[in-house]
Amino acid sequence: MSNLLYVGKGTPRTIEIDKVTGRAIYINDLKLPGMLYGKILYSNYSHARIKRIDASKAETLPGVRAVLTGHNIPDVRVGFLKDQTVLKKDIVRQFRDEVAAVAAISPEIAEDALNLIEVEYEELPAVFDPIEAMKEDAPLVHEVDARGKPIRTNILPLPWKFYAGDIEQGRKDSAHVVKDTVSTTWVNQCCMGTSGCVAEFDMNNDLTFHSQTNVIFLGKQRIMEYLSSIGMRGRNVRVINPVVGGSFGTKLDTDIYEFICILLALRTRKPVKILFSREEEFRALPPRQPAVFTIEQGCDKEGRLTFRKAEAILDNGSYTSWGATTPSVMVMPMSSLYRVPNVSFEATCVYTNNIYCQAMRGYGNPQATFAVESSMDTLAEEAGIDPAEFRLINRNQSGDVTPMRLKITSCGLEDCINSVKQKLNWTEKRGKRKGKGVGMGSLIHVAGGARVYKSDGHGMIVKVDQNGHIDVLDSGTDQGQGSPTIISQMVAETLGFRPEDVSLTLGDTGLCLWDAGTHASRHTFMAGNAAVRACEKVKQQILELAVENIPKVVKSGFRRKKRNDPDFVEPDLDYTLISKPEYLDIKDRMVFPKSDPEHPFFRVEVSQIIRDALHVGTGESKVVMAEAFYDPPTEMLDREMKGNLSCTYAFGTTGIEVEVDEKTGEVKILQLFAAHDVGKAINPILVKGQIYGAAYIGAGYGLTEEMKLENGRVMNPNFLDYKMLTAKDVVPIEPIVIEPGDEDGPFGAKGIGEPGLVPTAPAIANAIYDAIGVRIKSLPITPEKILAALKEKKK
Amino acid sequence: MVDYDYKKPKSLKEVFGLLKEYGPKATLIAGGTDVMINIRNRELSPEILISLQGLKDFCYIRKNNGYHIGALTTHRVLEQSDMVRAELSALYDAASQVGSVQIRNVATVGGNICTAAPSADTAGPLLALDATVVLEGPNGRRRVPIADFFTGPSETVRKGNEVLIEFDIPEEPGRFGSAYWKHSRRKAMDLPLLGISVGLTLSESQEISNARIGLTVAAPVPIRAHKAEEFLKGKRLGDDVLAEAGKIASSEASPRDSLRGKAWYRREMIEVFVPRMAKLAVERIRSEQKGRSR
Amino acid sequence: MKKVSISFTLNGDKVTAEVPPTWTLLNTLREYFELTGPKEGCGAGECGACTVIVNGKAVNSCIYPIPEVQGKSVTTIEGIAGKDGTLHPLQKAFIENNGVQCGFCTSGMIMAAKALLDHNPDPTEDEIRTGIAGNLCRCTGYVQIVESIEKAGEMIKQEK
Repeated sequence: MSNLLYVGKGTPRTIEIDKVTGRAIYINDLKLPGMLYGKILYSNYSHARIKRIDASKAETLPGVRAVLTGHNIPDVRVGFLKDQTVLKKDIVRQFRDEVAAVAAISPEIAEDALNLIEVEYEELPAVFDPIEAMKEDAPLVHEVDARGKPIRTNILPLPWKFYAGDIEQGRKDSAHVVKDTVSTTWVNQCCMGTSGCVAEFDMNNDLTFHSQTNVIFLGKQRIMEYLSSIGMRGRNVRVINPVVGGSFGTKLDTDIYEFICILLALRTRKPVKILFSREEEFRALPPRQPAVFTIEQGCDKEGRLTFRKAEAILDNGSYTSWGATTPSVMVMPMSSLYRVPNVSFEATCVYTNNIYCQAMRGYGNPQATFAVESSMDTLAEEAGIDPAEFRLINRNQSGDVTPMRLKITSCGLEDCINSVKQKLNWTEKRGKRKGKGVGMGSLIHVAGGARVYKSDGHGMIVKVDQNGHIDVLDSGTDQGQGSPTIISQMVAETLGFRPEDVSLTLGDTGLCLWDAGTHASRHTFMAGNAAVRACEKVKQQILELAVENIPKVVKSGFRRKKRNDPDFVEPDLDYTLISKPEYLDIKDRMVFPKSDPEHPFFRVEVSQIIRDALHVGTGESKVVMAEAFYDPPTEMLDREMKGNLSCTYAFGTTGIEVEVDEKTGEVKILQLFAAHDVGKAINPILVKGQIYGAAYIGAGYGLTEEMKLENGRVMNPNFLDYKMLTAKDVVPIEPIVIEPGDEDGPFGAKGIGEPGLVPTAPAIANAIYDAIGVRIKSLPITPEKILAALKEKKK
Repeated sequence: MVDYDYKKPKSLKEVFGLLKEYGPKATLIAGGTDVMINIRNRELSPEILISLQGLKDFCYIRKNNGYHIGALTTHRVLEQSDMVRAELSALYDAASQVGSVQIRNVATVGGNICTAAPSADTAGPLLALDATVVLEGPNGRRRVPIADFFTGPSETVRKGNEVLIEFDIPEEPGRFGSAYWKHSRRKAMDLPLLGISVGLTLSESQEISNARIGLTVAAPVPIRAHKAEEFLKGKRLGDDVLAEAGKIASSEASPRDSLRGKAWYRREMIEVFVPRMAKLAVERIRSEQKGRSR
Repeated sequence: MKKVSISFTLNGDKVTAEVPPTWTLLNTLREYFELTGPKEGCGAGECGACTVIVNGKAVNSCIYPIPEVQGKSVTTIEGIAGKDGTLHPLQKAFIENNGVQCGFCTSGMIMAAKALLDHNPDPTEDEIRTGIAGNLCRCTGYVQIVESIEKAGEMIKQEK
């Protein structure tokens, strides 16, 4: 490990040069000949019956090529719970419901056509609060389920119940118990590149779908299922990623606009592009799942946690996407953040007429960790124990098996907590209550894949050509995190080449093997492991060819010399040095015998060996390529929501010092230390980039970001009123990269994509409490909330 | 589909001619940072945009019997002017915090005032600096004190056939300083949820001989807090005095609950920032005095 | 819809665009000149992804009316590398210091940074952050962007 040439270095992203020259083609830039532009008409009501749709005027507008409504497309349900149709024709349940769609020769004409579509609605009573929606007399958001059976409640039939141990025993064993209610609200992923796709059918009805999806293969399956359900079974679908302008969780489901785009392409027989405006991105794109938690924790007099009992209510919105599955991730911090023997966690998802939700970086972990880490501080205070000490007492350790049956292998949590404590000068600064304070929060997250689906595999294809150039076909999606660079580093390291020798193709179902998806912070671990395995096979092929070919190369060189110089005497070489593949190695594009790396005759360029193996002149030429499909030895969650679903876990601690202006309620972050156990940093500069970016989103989550919904309508669908942090909103972040290694990670690496975000908001809340003695239990922690809480405290 | 003509007249006379010809179908455009957005979101649907950018010599900051600022002066030019920073500090504070550099390079102070959003950053400072708006129409010129210029949210006394051409700001005798606080959730790219502008003159004996307080997003239009100003006149500087002025100013305001903020919070912040901006204004007077005496 | 003829200098070349007067500079650059660098991130001057330099000043091209470009000089990300393809120090620095992640904000970010460095070759961190305050980035948290701009500034000084 200590002699690594490329892994562990800050290799620059030269592979992505097109991004700094304006040449990178994002979905916004993709143009195909004859391409049409699709636009969507949304509902005018949060809940209404559609009495009439008349699209006739739109159909005759010059330049319009297709108009779709619920009446002229197959009536097929889509979505995780199949609770919506692509275009709504009977009932709309949200302002973002898609009622019609147009394809035209320009976006302006498509927009004009939308304005010509007449829709008559009859408003229905709506419900915007999940607590209200759970009541017996609440208006029903859905009246029948996917199979047509009547539904009598807004509560979704989802099995989110986790029990381990004995809560009541835990309560009895407790010297201290606290109970809190905390809440988080909707926040938008704010990808700088908005949602969009281009669909095109050929005359065989096979579809090429240019999509920013991060789950190219699962997305392909969903589309094929949909095509099958509309009478196009067996057609092929090729999903291709353009350059993706950020994901942050938005691209894990197949969104309605994607189905609409496909239908428009089918109807018009032309490529069709749908591209969201920023306003649509705020109004129509499913945001992060909000949640209200009640959480109760206890500890004994030594400060050891005795139990953790939590209930969550999730506003599911009008339809179901991945937001409803966030409890399957929430159960991880609930059951496994810190050692806690008895755990109970129940989550209820409730239909309302609000916007429905999908994944966002962290996928339920930031919400649940806000609950757990706020409660840890209140419990520490109740028990009279310093909060950092309290966390150390209960820290996870290598070898633990948590109540969720997660097997903790590598675990740098102790180092994370201690390094943050030390950097913050914790003991000196804590407890002063003079407007400045320190607080921390930790996290656990999957970092070695996540067996959400039956296969958690990642397939990699590696080939080396006669020029010594390496092509890698990686089944994942490049979201901008730096995957091409780190994969090229790992490939170069394993094969004995240089990173600049590697070209990567990601995100093409036609070329790549299969991958469960670039989500759950799994790409480095999964693709890295697949790459290393594929490269080992490729290396073996090269070395076997070397055994065959080096003697031929050397001897033919001697024959040439003898022809030119009859006095030449062939040197007596020991060919046994290169007689077996295991005697050879590759470094810097050269094959050489391990026993004599500088051997004057036996150092040969890999490209020469491959050339010679290919251009043989008989029917026995060979190429060098290999594939590897890596699927780790993990398990799916069982009915009790238990199972070791990841090969290894990420740990981290964020420690923050804040200053609060007690007159205005404004919070200034003075210092933020983010310590993360990443196993091994394949590229320290890129790892830091992930930590900086995630921590910034976490700071926004904690202090400024919220989607404001009023009676189901998004009131701030723009960057002016949705407060994403700017470069002037300085958050002084110092990442601390902790590298305990990991026996299962490629070169010991674990995932880092999401962890950086998770503990930021609770660390802020905890630091504010230390500064001014008030605890804000709902995100975002705005100046108004602080000022109101300070006034309340004075009374 | 959005459809309009775009004309760029070279003289005010041409502008008036076009305004007469098109009437309400025409919209004047300066930098365009408000107009272009309003057209995109269909709040404005003009048949013709009349650009003022073709007019020569409307971008200037002159000092000559008071200060004269051309209406087409961009916020960036104001921001980069040493004179504005030193002598019209509240205006510098406002101009330098509008949106972003990209916006400030293009958006004009005249446009900011004519759009007349209750949150307009330069409105409060112009009130605190006792500016006069100079309007020119086909029938001549008229001058309107800024305090009388705004009649409602996005409404002003400017007639449809008039062009705002200049702001005149009196040169204050004696020790004068000003400051503007933009209370916002972010440090850039934001509108204020409250704006506090203070202009103070101190006498030799450190008494407040004159005070002007401008409040924005605190009422349907930018306002002066006259009672608080009267209270301050003749008083010696002190925390209690300033705190009381803050309370009085807060009582003169009529902020409302809006998407961007709550009325109670706005009232509280008036109480907090009137004293803070008064102090900043005083600090500026004092450091200017120090600078002079070197 | 009738068109107007707007002549200006684009990335050093004299050009004329025949486009509707309602078009913005961004539309014109992307649709008429097929430059994909400047991007529409919001269409309202609120994110900076469309930033280009007009007569030396950074502007949001998505709200800049095309008729106003007449006679002016416009530079986009496509125009800052050398004619022989040598990258501008900002482009090099963003690659070397991880100032780019998904890259969507990058074209606008680099142009805002260039406008800053062209006038202020030795900016403080605060001046850099002010210069790019109008450019939103979701991926990087701005830290490595600021570092990239600092390094680019140093490279430019060394070249002189």
